[in-house]
Amino acid sequence: MRLQELQRNLRDCPQGKVPFPVPESPLVFRGHFQKGKAMAKSVVSHVRICYPLPGGSALVTFDDPNVAKQVLQQKEHQINVEGFRLRVQVQPLELPMLTTIQVSSQMNDHRVLVSGFPAGLKLSEEELLDKLEIFFGKTKNGGGDVEMRELLQGGVMLGFTEAGVAQHLCQMGQFMVPLGKKQSCLRVSPYMSGKIQKAEVRPQPVPQSVLVLNIPDVLDGPELQDILEIHFQKPTRGGGEVEAVTVVPPGQRGLAVFTSKSG
Amino acid sequence: MAADEDNKEQVLKECEQAEEVMKDKQNQKSVSEIIKENIQLKKEIEELEAELQETTRTSQINEDIPETKIKFTSVENPESDSEFSDISYSCQVSSKVPYELQKGQALITFEKEEVAQNVIKMARHLVQVQNENVMLTANPVPLNSGVRFQVYVGVSKMKISVTDIPDELPESQMRDKLELSFSKSRNGGGEVECVEYDKQTGSALITFVESGVADKILKMKDYPVYINQNCYRVTVSPYTETHLKKFQVFSGVSKRTVLLTGLKDLQMTDEETVEDFISIHFQREKNGGGEVEVVKCSLGQPHTAYFEE
Repeated sequence: MRLQELQRNLRDCPQGKVPFPVPESPLVFRGHFQKGKAMAKSVVSHVRICYPLPGGSALVTFDDPNVAKQVLQQKEHQINVEGFRLRVQVQPLELPMLTTIQVSSQMNDHRVLVSGFPAGLKLSEEELLDKLEIFFGKTKNGGGDVEMRELLQGGVMLGFTEAGVAQHLCQMGQFMVPLGKKQSCLRVSPYMSGKIQKAEVRPQPVPQSVLVLNIPDVLDGPELQDILEIHFQKPTRGGGEVEAVTVVPPGQRGLAVFTSKSG
Repeated sequence: MAADEDNKEQVLKECEQAEEVMKDKQNQKSVSEIIKENIQLKKEIEELEAELQETTRTSQINEDIPETKIKFTSVENPESDSEFSDISYSCQVSSKVPYELQKGQALITFEKEEVAQNVIKMARHLVQVQNENVMLTANPVPLNSGVRFQVYVGVSKMKISVTDIPDELPESQMRDKLELSFSKSRNGGGEVECVEYDKQTGSALITFVESGVADKILKMKDYPVYINQNCYRVTVSPYTETHLKKFQVFSGVSKRTVLLTGLKDLQMTDEETVEDFISIHFQREKNGGGEVEVVKCSLGQPHTAYFEE
């Protein structure tokens, strides 16, 4: 049985396509071409970096990166506030960026892909995953212990503790699964998982932003924000137009979020 | 009489025994045949499975990512402690599926899906290119599969990776020396939560109690560790964890881009000019076309066109 199935799969599989059903994704040619032979290319988008800010710190973002550079020339800044001085340190900001990624894909015999969901299904992600885990967790349905589950575009991945369960479900192929009021005919097929072969991360400077550290605990949050903004806007102090100031008062924490301009 | 019967019984028994022996022999023969066949079949299954693995390894991603501009967007205040122990990076990666455009082929992308489908339905199109009239055939573009996934990287603010540790002391003692050295604030260290030391590779993972210490130490390339009056410099580097999420293979399907064939014997050899003529023809509604986004053809060498989401 297994042998016949494999032989059939290999025969029917055209070069470059995977020999089992996978969800379709509409693609468009937008004019990106290269002379010569086809090479694998990919696009990286939606870069998002979360940077923890310690208590007693602030993040100042300038309009002009040259202003940031100027501000950084002085490691220590003295901020005059109504009769006393706040001494703070400034530092450039560097964030880790992925510079190289190598991923290989291979058949995963503990996992399956469930697809064929009807359009307009009114279930939340959690509800859908729960219903599938319940159904495919039962041996009477041909399933078994579910170890992991993940919602993908056009399908759900289920991982089982036993490889035999995954194989069996793929052989059965189709199932009537209750999803809400009706039963839906869902398809189960093999799943290919990815493995990171290489991932390099390098620090990249954020030219417009500056970290302000060791802010003494003498002012309230909102006051501190105003004071910092005023100080760093003064051209006489090497400052300039400030786009944003984020303050984390002593004893608190904050997470600064950075995103790529395009994604 | 009894003797005869005894004899009969004896003969019967012997016959039965002989039969059994024969059956056994026959059975053994077929059993060994079956075992042989089984081994052969198992081997074939293994070979085919290996071949299947090879063909499905086609979707590999190998990408050097150019510098992306990053900007401050917002500030968040999550509840959980774990979000503050790392600087976290995430991004999405998806394949651009290549299509090798052979000599005589062209790709045309329409703004609207219905127009593309109509052009395919009409199948044959008589297009004027300079002084020639060429009959082009429109078909959907056969596309390979691609992959899509998310990458998550966590750079720890509490842990550092240490390497090039000399193999001078037994494991437990070295662990203590590492803890002592990395606690010394005068060298930039701080209170150590725990040390994981691997004597074989000469590496260790140091976890600090406070968040700022790792950053301070990482500003230097190496760090002093004191062993028996000697000072050794060990290498320090950030501790990162990387993993994939939402990995999936998808089958590329082209809804707005159409494959045109029939340009092989064209007199005109300038690709740009031919592309212009094709574009003009298919812009016209009376030709079954509509708004055209892009045209690319190959009149000599093959080109690789990339399809994206």
